[in-house]
Amino acid sequence: MQKSTIQFLLINCFLAIVLVSCGSVTKNYTPKKLDKTSYEVPYFSDSKTDYVYKTNITVYGNEISGIFIAKKINDTTHRIVFTTEFGNKLLDFEISDNSFKVNSIVSELDRKILINTLKGDFRLLLKKEYLIQEQFENDSDNIYKSKDGKRDNYLFISKKDHRLEKVVHSSQTKEKFTLTFTSENNIFAEKIQIIHQNIKLKIELNYFKSE
Amino acid sequence: MKTKIALLILFISGNLFAQEQKMTAAEIASFKEDVNVVSKKIKTLSTDFVQYKHLDFLSKDIETSGKMIFKEPSLLQWQYKKPYNYSIVFKNGKILINDEGKKSAVDIGNSKIFGRINKLIVGSVSGNMFDDKEFTISYFKVKGQNLAKFVPKDATLKKYIKQIELTFDKEEATVIQVKLLESSEDYTRIVLKNKVINAKIDDSVFTN
Repeated sequence: MQKSTIQFLLINCFLAIVLVSCGSVTKNYTPKKLDKTSYEVPYFSDSKTDYVYKTNITVYGNEISGIFIAKKINDTTHRIVFTTEFGNKLLDFEISDNSFKVNSIVSELDRKILINTLKGDFRLLLKKEYLIQEQFENDSDNIYKSKDGKRDNYLFISKKDHRLEKVVHSSQTKEKFTLTFTSENNIFAEKIQIIHQNIKLKIELNYFKSE
Repeated sequence: MKTKIALLILFISGNLFAQEQKMTAAEIASFKEDVNVVSKKIKTLSTDFVQYKHLDFLSKDIETSGKMIFKEPSLLQWQYKKPYNYSIVFKNGKILINDEGKKSAVDIGNSKIFGRINKLIVGSVSGNMFDDKEFTISYFKVKGQNLAKFVPKDATLKKYIKQIELTFDKEEATVIQVKLLESSEDYTRIVLKNKVINAKIDDSVFTN
């Protein structure tokens, strides 16, 4: 009898662990009443600013560096160019919430899977407005859930200074990739990281002012 | 009023003419000779540079700057100092990169395209690039300067660079500006300053 009780407890513990680890991104956060229905991101929103970043991309152990340039060219669309330090253009995209155009890409990078991955990353990076359906909190952040097709975006906004620090792009069960922002002035972000959880891809952007 | 407009038109068109004038065959021969004499004497070369990346949709060119050092026959260091530290060395079939202290090396071995790029950079800075097999070349005079335009013949190279324009100081017959055109709207312009020719440069400079 005692033996079966222990077994029962063990199985229950095991199930509990499995269930918890299968839970959604919000498992560690406390639900909260919605305090807003939308959120506007300031970081790439000014059409007068040239957003220029020194960039390091680590993909499956390979390093690529260069310069990432983004510019808002109209209400909905950003132009994105990635060049080498010498200035050779490696890719040139136009991207909005629901459109995407490749102006040019060097043949070495012209792979559908790569273009689609970057499209997803950059679209989220440059996204201006999120509509919010649910809200959570932890000790340091208010966390807003925003639907994105079959997936969700979780926006982490610091309680201390109300800045967007992180966006987690997630399926129902798993985090797919994460954007982190470091911003001094809440106007643009000096440092941005895009980290993928399911593939070995990390993009690091460091803002620089040219002379 | 009419005269004023006529004068204005004359002035503008006059200016256009003054900007680029094709060289005669004799001028081309003498210009090439001058450049060849100077570039043959170059054993080492160091120069400061300012690079302006022009993209048509940006409000301002992206400006970076640093130093370039070359030593015969094929040691080359291209070093950005502002606004970030990034240095690239071409040495014995290898490319050594130092990106803000993060070091990496690429073995280019006999890679044709990198061999060509190396040759191109050295050629651009020394001016000795008059290779009719590689480029279709045209020659111009622009107020006190000479200008040579190179259109790559090789299809692979052409994918990256549509045209290279070298501007030469007329007196010294050395390159003062390199312009790499990717398309009609987008280009990289590199201005060379404080050039020092044939100063002693140790091989140890070309480590990264």
